[in-house]
Amino acid sequence: MRGRTLLGVAVAVVIGGYLTTRFVSHGYFYFASYVILQYIMLATAWNILGGYTGYVNFGSAAFFAVGAYTSIVLIKAFKAYFIFLALAGGLASALLGLGIGYLTLRLRGVFFSIATLALAVVLQTAVINWGYVGGARGIYILRARSVPFFSSYTEFLFFMMVVFAVLSVAAAWWIENSWVGRGLAAIRDNEEAAECMGVPTLKLKLFATTVSGFFMGLAGAPFPYYVTYVEPSSAFNLDYAVNSLAMPMIGGTTSWAGPVVGAILLGAAQQIATVTISSAWNLLIVGVVLVAFVILAPEGLVGLALRLARKRGA
Amino acid sequence: MKRTGRFWIGGWMLTAWLAAAALLSGPWAPPAQAAEKPIKIGFGMALTGGLAANGKAALLSMQIWAEDVNAKGGLLGRKVDLVVYDDQTKPASVPAIYTKLLDVDKVDFVVSGYGTNLIAPAMPIVMERGLVFMGLFGLAVNEKFKYPGYFQIMPAGPEPALDWTRGFFEIAAQQKPKPQTVALVGADAEFAINAVAGARENAKKMGLKIVYDKTYPPATVDYTPIARAIKATNPDVVFVGSYPPDSVGMVQAAHEVGLKPKLFGGGMVGLQYAAFLTKLGPKLNGIVNYDFWVPEPTLNFPGIEAFLKKYQVKAAKAGVDPLGHYLPPWSYAYLEVLGQAVTATKSTDQKKVAGYIRSHEFTTIIGKVKFGSNGEWATSRVLQIQFQGIKDSKLDQFHRPGKRIVVYPEQWKSGKIQYPYSSAK
Repeated sequence: MRGRTLLGVAVAVVIGGYLTTRFVSHGYFYFASYVILQYIMLATAWNILGGYTGYVNFGSAAFFAVGAYTSIVLIKAFKAYFIFLALAGGLASALLGLGIGYLTLRLRGVFFSIATLALAVVLQTAVINWGYVGGARGIYILRARSVPFFSSYTEFLFFMMVVFAVLSVAAAWWIENSWVGRGLAAIRDNEEAAECMGVPTLKLKLFATTVSGFFMGLAGAPFPYYVTYVEPSSAFNLDYAVNSLAMPMIGGTTSWAGPVVGAILLGAAQQIATVTISSAWNLLIVGVVLVAFVILAPEGLVGLALRLARKRGA
Repeated sequence: MKRTGRFWIGGWMLTAWLAAAALLSGPWAPPAQAAEKPIKIGFGMALTGGLAANGKAALLSMQIWAEDVNAKGGLLGRKVDLVVYDDQTKPASVPAIYTKLLDVDKVDFVVSGYGTNLIAPAMPIVMERGLVFMGLFGLAVNEKFKYPGYFQIMPAGPEPALDWTRGFFEIAAQQKPKPQTVALVGADAEFAINAVAGARENAKKMGLKIVYDKTYPPATVDYTPIARAIKATNPDVVFVGSYPPDSVGMVQAAHEVGLKPKLFGGGMVGLQYAAFLTKLGPKLNGIVNYDFWVPEPTLNFPGIEAFLKKYQVKAAKAGVDPLGHYLPPWSYAYLEVLGQAVTATKSTDQKKVAGYIRSHEFTTIIGKVKFGSNGEWATSRVLQIQFQGIKDSKLDQFHRPGKRIVVYPEQWKSGKIQYPYSSAK
């Protein structure tokens, strides 16, 4: 029943997204929403590994950039269709997740995090020296002038991001509510105990890194079309790593709703700050809010809301 | 309770989203306006992040332009308002900023922020709407877009990457005996790679043998190994394409290891700023480097002195580059071009203004400006200057002529080159 209702909501959001493109002609709405949707995906993907499994990934930017650069290669080599780019970007990033998972998941806690941080540095250096995708010089990707069913490419990008974001949240919901999620939670709470109880920890962790990687890559794949000029420092921007970690922390890491709430709140706050405060202050937002939440509401907004609701119910 | 809680949040989010969409789709009817509503010029500028120091200086001079214009009664009798947002030196923030400016703030014109990375993401938006777009210090942005409404104020010339370094190599070719070998070194980042690529081609054209051709990562801290490796190849000419922090690193390292080619410099960004001029002081002597404007008598265009006076007073208060010789005059000039075109066409019609800019020459505080077909300057005005006679690290000396001598091109030459490099110390 619950699954069906959620499916209904998901379909409604996608249809709502499409209808939005029929009625809203503001480019700003699409670009601002695009950024927020992108962060919903990144935060949700991060949470699959970081929140459910307890493995903190500092290298989100690397997964994001792999998605973006896979797109660039396919656009350059085959002028591939958008949907292929997106899938390929996701798959490349998923493979990276699998590989990294296999190599590093034997590392625990902070050592795993350091390895993911190093991954971003290594990949960025590789891209800087890879002339085909523009290298350090960057590369221009031109958007198509028109797309069928949409009045501009921006609206098309926005709609695709709605679909992708819904997919990623649905995946997170499924993981959370299936035996996989329970297995991941067992790993988070006590990996040795889980292993002893017969939880296939390595397989589950590899599953988590792969799925997490896939959605980060999927979030990055449309980036070249969004920004039209990609160079390594913007694709590997620290923002992606910081935000994809901060958003679930603020929203709450234990449920699928947490990263979504965190991404919408923090993403919107950043968008608003950019066009209102216009000073160094807006850079402080993530930091201050994150510190405040870690201290005041370690379970995030969703955790806080549930706790309050439970108290009232009791 | 738990379940309802989550659904509640989901529903709330959906409602908020739809509300936002509905709000934006509503009739954004502009309030009834008198004919005198201001002309709004919008842009994103790097006020935080990596390019903030330059971005702030640029903004300051743009504000001076607006004040100057408004003091004379504005444009077409309307006051000029600047609408600026901080792009945080992040290309990803640019599309949202420009669509906000156009859709919500309803600006009449947009101009670019500072630098290639921050100009390019605005191009598709500007092109979709057919707007005139003045660019500030972008290197060959229009090469791929080929947009007729784009005009870029940095005087790199019709072939930006090549023209940028041509002067340096022509100087080399004019010397007797003619230098034979060249070392090329640059940072692994957008501008430097382009500059070195141009230098490579120019070096080949001039028949110089390339004995060293390497890049270094942008985060390099110690430049002495690089300087030593270059020294080992004993080149006659050393061309450096670098960003501010590495320019300083390279100059210091060259002194430390005693690197003494016959010609040194070329494409070092940063040696135009007051902070680095005073930091390096006498170590700059003899270096030949690109520049766009220096206070030499040949470049004393009408209006530049008055502008710098105003700028320097404000800069001291704002804590930005106290000289203002590098970017500020240009960020003033690109608005001057736009303003003059609006005045001449008596219109804010994008096509008319763009057409006028394409076909006319403009007189600005940085001299006469004429754009070519790709929106770059019709002819390059990249100067090569040589640092001469710097005795100490005081800032005052750089306000006056005589320390940064224009040695290329012939038209703007203000003195003779001291050659070889080592003789200028």
